[in-house]
Amino acid sequence: MRAALLKAQIEKSLPSAFTAFRRQDQGSIPTGIPQIDQVVQGVPLHSLTEICGSSLASSGKTSVLVSLLAHATREHYCALVDASDAFDPTSGHAAGVSFSRLLWVRCGKNRVKLPPLEQAFKVADILLQSSGFGLIAIDLSGIPERIVRRVPLSSWFRFSRVIERQPAALVFIEQEPHATSCAGLVLRVASAARDWSSHPSQLSPDGVCNEPARFSGNLLMQWNLNVEVVRGRQKKPPGSERTGFSLTPQWV
Amino acid sequence: MFACLYIPDFSVQASLLPDPAERRTVLSRSPIAILDGPANLPRVFAANPAARRAGIRTGMTKLQAEICSGIELRKRSLDEEKLAHATLLECAAMFSPRVESSCPGVAILDLAGTEKLFCRPQKSPTRGALQKDWRQTDIWTRAVQIIVAKVSEAGVNVRIATAINPDTALLAARGFSQNTIVPAGREASYLAALPVEILPLSPEMLDTLGNWGIRTFQSLAALPEVAIVERLGQQGLYLQKLTRCEIARPLIPVESQAEFAESFEFDDPIETLESIFFILNRLLHQLCFRLLSISQAASALRLAVGLNVRQIHRGKNHTPIENAIEEETVEHEWKLPIPTQDKNLLFGLVRLHLEKTTFSAPIRFLRIAATAVKPRLAQGNLFAPPSPEPEKLEITQERIRGVVGDLDAEGVACVGSPRLLDTHKPGSFSLDRFAPSSETYSYEQKVLPRPASTPGSEQPSVSHAPGPTIALRIFRPPFETAVEFDGQKPHFVRLWSRHRRVLAASGPWSTSGNWWNVSAWAREEWDVALKMPAGVGFYRIYHDRLGRQWYVEGVFD
Repeated sequence: MRAALLKAQIEKSLPSAFTAFRRQDQGSIPTGIPQIDQVVQGVPLHSLTEICGSSLASSGKTSVLVSLLAHATREHYCALVDASDAFDPTSGHAAGVSFSRLLWVRCGKNRVKLPPLEQAFKVADILLQSSGFGLIAIDLSGIPERIVRRVPLSSWFRFSRVIERQPAALVFIEQEPHATSCAGLVLRVASAARDWSSHPSQLSPDGVCNEPARFSGNLLMQWNLNVEVVRGRQKKPPGSERTGFSLTPQWV
Repeated sequence: MFACLYIPDFSVQASLLPDPAERRTVLSRSPIAILDGPANLPRVFAANPAARRAGIRTGMTKLQAEICSGIELRKRSLDEEKLAHATLLECAAMFSPRVESSCPGVAILDLAGTEKLFCRPQKSPTRGALQKDWRQTDIWTRAVQIIVAKVSEAGVNVRIATAINPDTALLAARGFSQNTIVPAGREASYLAALPVEILPLSPEMLDTLGNWGIRTFQSLAALPEVAIVERLGQQGLYLQKLTRCEIARPLIPVESQAEFAESFEFDDPIETLESIFFILNRLLHQLCFRLLSISQAASALRLAVGLNVRQIHRGKNHTPIENAIEEETVEHEWKLPIPTQDKNLLFGLVRLHLEKTTFSAPIRFLRIAATAVKPRLAQGNLFAPPSPEPEKLEITQERIRGVVGDLDAEGVACVGSPRLLDTHKPGSFSLDRFAPSSETYSYEQKVLPRPASTPGSEQPSVSHAPGPTIALRIFRPPFETAVEFDGQKPHFVRLWSRHRRVLAASGPWSTSGNWWNVSAWAREEWDVALKMPAGVGFYRIYHDRLGRQWYVEGVFD
């Protein structure tokens, strides 16, 4: 009784002080990979998303980004901030990216004094200030991990707060997740199997789904990947959920 | 009916035009003289009434003029005179589509059919009906008042005369010291008292008339025609007809300008950007005012910055023997996604560009020009996806260029929409200007599959892939590597300073091109699966057959 009285008194001066903030589901952009979309319903709008994967070994994070761009450019104008200038327009064209709706910013190519990571963050700030983009993707996976780790948490928090008020998705492509609780969705992508060297027989043709790849003669026909939902909108505290998907080369 | 807009003391008013309005008002009351001629002996070319009252006369040397206390001496600027004349023509064009540019500081416009612009129907207080019986004189009196007010807003004081023919209007504007409406049918008697000096006479002819005792229009008009032709030729007859107001010639209207330009030359070279922004703001304000006055908008903007480059020539002992100053012009152009009249947008673009540009020398002059087109009247496509505002986007892109730069080392833009080039050479692309278009995706485009367009073709740059495809991450520039072969296939590839074992390899895929010119290329590609510490990496390597070197182009990721 006393607690209820106190609660009433506090709420009188601070309305909805004890009401839990529930974020509304305000839409998403499909990644174009059915298995991922089934699990996470696409990349959320008004939220920060991280897609992580190794940069030395092929992990599939860039393919997920390109597929996301291909679907996002159907409905939105998109911006790609390329910190290491690694985007391949040919791959983008093959995936179906509408170039007329894509603003590509190549960082670190001019003799500007700022390092590429700082350039990318400054450009992301400018793009967030200029509303109208449905998807802003920042590719940091070419930047060494030890440098990205130094980005203060306040930067991620600021991005998260700014994107909350905009009908846009902010996607970071990295080697490891850094935004922690500021991210609404964190996906970790990796090859389906890491021990190819111990199972060279798996490189033979006619592999099954759980094989890392399927070859036809010398040609790679299918590449199998796993995606792990490290943090999702529906899961708090963060849980982990895995699913597999396949990518095909452009020539298939 | 024709109206002549005449700027008295044209050179003085032109020199005052770049000044702010308040300062212009103050200056116009103080004595000002304009100097022209060789730099070592400039002479007074023009003076305002205050200077004339103070004793300044045309032809005085600078030293003689400086004796007058409180006089401001200015150098004659042809650019400023052009600007003043252009302003006059634009103001005239606001009232009539037929404007003649007779000479600097003079514009004649045809007022036929423009009566409704000046006589607004008014309610009669007694009868409550519309009062439509405007007299012609009232209309032209009101027209003169309105035109004078409008031109004054642009910073120019004009004298206006209206008459039944253009030349009479011009002579009346020059001859009378106030606005004049020459009554129809009584032109010759109205101008009779004007001096012959205002006629377009050569000095010799003026002397001749002076010797004859001809001082006014009336005395010249009274002379017999045949005698004038015998003595002065056809030119004399033409002048007599002018004094009799008998010349009825067609107006020669000027064509509308495609480009609007404003310029400013500093007395001393400027090194700080703040001073330049102050002037730029004013130039853009004038430019936008001129565009607005004729209902036009800027579709492109060009900035020319003149630099004062000092050249020091050294002698044998490395001592400076000559110190020459050369002009160098740096230019930049913006093509705007939509025509605009927004001064703040244009100023923002220019400011961001200047802030990121480093000039090698102090700035001597600024010139800013805009290409005028009709402004956008239609609203955007309702079915197009939400896009950044075109005006805001241009500023955003300029700010991004300020962070990442304009071009890379190969001359490819750093910001824009990617476009694949029409070539088989891998990695060939360019970046176009990113501008939201009004295109929409129809149901067929969204749902139905269609064949992929070829790179570089004119087809819309959207293709349909059956499913998610493997993307390549490019290393720009590609880094050199070493490859060991085991028979026909790569066995080891040197990557990140270590030898990586090749688990699988696909190739070689040979391509070549441009063998007919210096940009020839030939390569053999291999797609290899390499054993990496974190798993397996699919890499694309290639052998440059011309350079005989192996490179890693990218990683499938």
